[in-house]
Amino acid sequence: MKKLYSIMAVLLAAVLLLSACGPRAVDCSADDVYCVGQVTDLGGIDDKSFNASAWRGVQNALDDDLIASGKYLESQGQSDYARNIQQFLDENTDLIVTVGFLLGVDTAKAATANPNTYFAIVDYSYPDCWPGAVVGTDCGSDVEIPNVRGLTFQTDQAAFLAGYLAAGMTQTGKVGTYGGIQIPPVTIFMDGFQAGVMYYNQQHGANVQLVGWDAATGQGLFTGNFESTDDGRAFAESLMQEGVDIIMPVAGPVGLGSAAVCQETGGCLIIGVDADWYDTAPEYRSVLLTSVLKKIDVAVYDTIQDMVNGQFTGGTAVYTIADGGVDIAPYHDFDNQVPASLKAEIEQLRQQLIDGTLTVNGVLGR
Amino acid sequence: MAMTSARPFIKSRLLPGLLLFLAGAVIYLLFGSGVDWSQQATFGLNPTGRTEALVIPDLTLPVKASVVVLSLVAVFLGAWQMARGIRSSGLAVGLVAFAFVAAFLLWATKDNSFSLVGMLSSSLVRATPIALAALCGVISERAAVVNIGIEGILLISAQTAVIVGTKSGNLYVALIAAILVGGLVGAFHALMAVKFKVDQIVSGVAINIFAVGATSFVSSRFLEKDINGLNNSGTFPTISVPLLSKIPVLGPVLFENNIIVFLMMILVVVLHVVLFYTPWGLRTRAVGEHPKAADTLGVNVFLTRYVNVILGGMIAGLGGAYFTIGAVGRFDEVMTAGKGFIGLAAMIFGKWTPFGAFAASLLFGFADSLQVKLQILGIPIPSEFLLMAPYIVTMVVLAGVVGSAMAPAADGVPYEKN
Repeated sequence: MKKLYSIMAVLLAAVLLLSACGPRAVDCSADDVYCVGQVTDLGGIDDKSFNASAWRGVQNALDDDLIASGKYLESQGQSDYARNIQQFLDENTDLIVTVGFLLGVDTAKAATANPNTYFAIVDYSYPDCWPGAVVGTDCGSDVEIPNVRGLTFQTDQAAFLAGYLAAGMTQTGKVGTYGGIQIPPVTIFMDGFQAGVMYYNQQHGANVQLVGWDAATGQGLFTGNFESTDDGRAFAESLMQEGVDIIMPVAGPVGLGSAAVCQETGGCLIIGVDADWYDTAPEYRSVLLTSVLKKIDVAVYDTIQDMVNGQFTGGTAVYTIADGGVDIAPYHDFDNQVPASLKAEIEQLRQQLIDGTLTVNGVLGR
Repeated sequence: MAMTSARPFIKSRLLPGLLLFLAGAVIYLLFGSGVDWSQQATFGLNPTGRTEALVIPDLTLPVKASVVVLSLVAVFLGAWQMARGIRSSGLAVGLVAFAFVAAFLLWATKDNSFSLVGMLSSSLVRATPIALAALCGVISERAAVVNIGIEGILLISAQTAVIVGTKSGNLYVALIAAILVGGLVGAFHALMAVKFKVDQIVSGVAINIFAVGATSFVSSRFLEKDINGLNNSGTFPTISVPLLSKIPVLGPVLFENNIIVFLMMILVVVLHVVLFYTPWGLRTRAVGEHPKAADTLGVNVFLTRYVNVILGGMIAGLGGAYFTIGAVGRFDEVMTAGKGFIGLAAMIFGKWTPFGAFAASLLFGFADSLQVKLQILGIPIPSEFLLMAPYIVTMVVLAGVVGSAMAPAADGVPYEKN
């Protein structure tokens, strides 16, 4: 029996060793040494999505020698958020980047308790409390927190262009979308996509249908997770069965399962999200129409740069299509297939979105 | 005299009959009463993307009339129960459950359409990894070794399959590698359970934790760095069985799948035959029920357990291969998403038999794909609630319909030879 326990112990130690990887520590408590720590959401650091994108921002800062150390801790469950943040606090990390809407409450708690540490949170901003919400349980803070910068993105503007493009490119008259979990940073993509389709229908007197989301009722198609690529496959198959031929999956790596089935059957095209999938998932280039870019890496890099230059400000930094924080990617392999007139229309829409003569909410009628 | 015979009559005839009446009324009130007579529901009966197949017209049904018919089925069953008594209560429950689901679908599809064939075929595909995990559980637990590490085996063999598949360029080699690695992890579990007599739950949990850590490590350190060289295997092509796949509705569902789905269906039959009609199966069951008696009669208990757990691991290895080379052609961290545990539930629900486990897996697969269709139809039920559907089915089924499932008597107990 004893032998057995020692074997178990070795196994467990191996597990712990395997999960604890990252560069060696430097003295982060020194004034001129900047350390950045990123706490991921459940999708993991290489989720092809917002965790990976934020991490790219940290790595770029490392490569440019802005900071001495950049580390990440992956959260395997929601109970890991607070623990991972505390781990970085214990290491005197200067800036803690928390990735994702779901870390909103834990980040606020840690930031309020440690006013001398900078925080940046992706896809979130404070104050986030609604009437009747309990601070610290339902929401993070009812006031702005000076040492936290919320990084938010008007992704609906970029998704609007993608929706317009999809409506112009569909052969079957049906385009589809689905999300991971029904939270605002996900549904904002779907809102924009829907608005784009609607606007195309208005402009062209067309009747392209969107399957998988209705902004008016808040009813849509969701996998309930950001992990299961098999779900992505099943959802794409299901959408194809209903006649959809262009799909925008807003579910991180789950969408790669959809891309796989599109490539296998040749029955659909994919619109990537967050990063340009042409670069991050090159194996699916042949079915990638475009990607809705959300440049989290740029936002994280900007924040790090501001901290190093002593210009860190709290509050909310909103990235829009006007400053290039969100956009759609080039058409790459589909450049020849997108009609020139459609390209021109999209270019014009981009301008209208930038100067504010066209808004997503306006098209959705709210 | 009259009093003494009335009570069993009420209990055995009247009460179930009234319950069936009630079910009929509920079906009508929930799904029929708010619908207009003119509304219709359309169910697609042809597979998408294939035009050369025999095209049959889609099924269009008037919603209200159909729901009325379905509720009458339940009422009729109730009347029959009161008048004559129904022998098989399972059949009655099954029919009413079918009427309920069918009425629900009709109601959800009113003035709309969806592909019924598509839903059925994705039910089977979604059931495949669950069924393979369940079969792994069946074969191990029939020999009294609880294997809770199936989830871990799925993960490890999924990753093995994609790496070997990408490196070798041959998916069949990858499939064999995944099966062998599954067997290897099974062997480790068997060693722990049989030789060292560890608590089998602890060993299984250790396998799960190790699998998550190890595959995530390999994924982030190696696979991410070289996607095309390590993590892009492609998937098995769909095989259409000649002639059989042309059968309307059933053909595309059963006979147009990839090799892993076919292997799964074959395994269900083979395992059933082996377990119940061969000497090996008899020995296995004896070892699971009463190892001491089996030992006395000269059955090698340890060997039986080793072989069964290793075979189980190999079946789970096949299940793991489904996730990568059978579905998406790439590995992502924790991509198995708890299918191994659902497989264990399917095993219990199926009362430790291959066909039962398969049927249970189909039910989970059906709940899974039904949920997707319902979300697409945009019915006014929150998506979070629909996502719970497979798990609600699990609980209802485990608590109510199955009754007390009997595990093999010696399940989970290490055998001490003395």
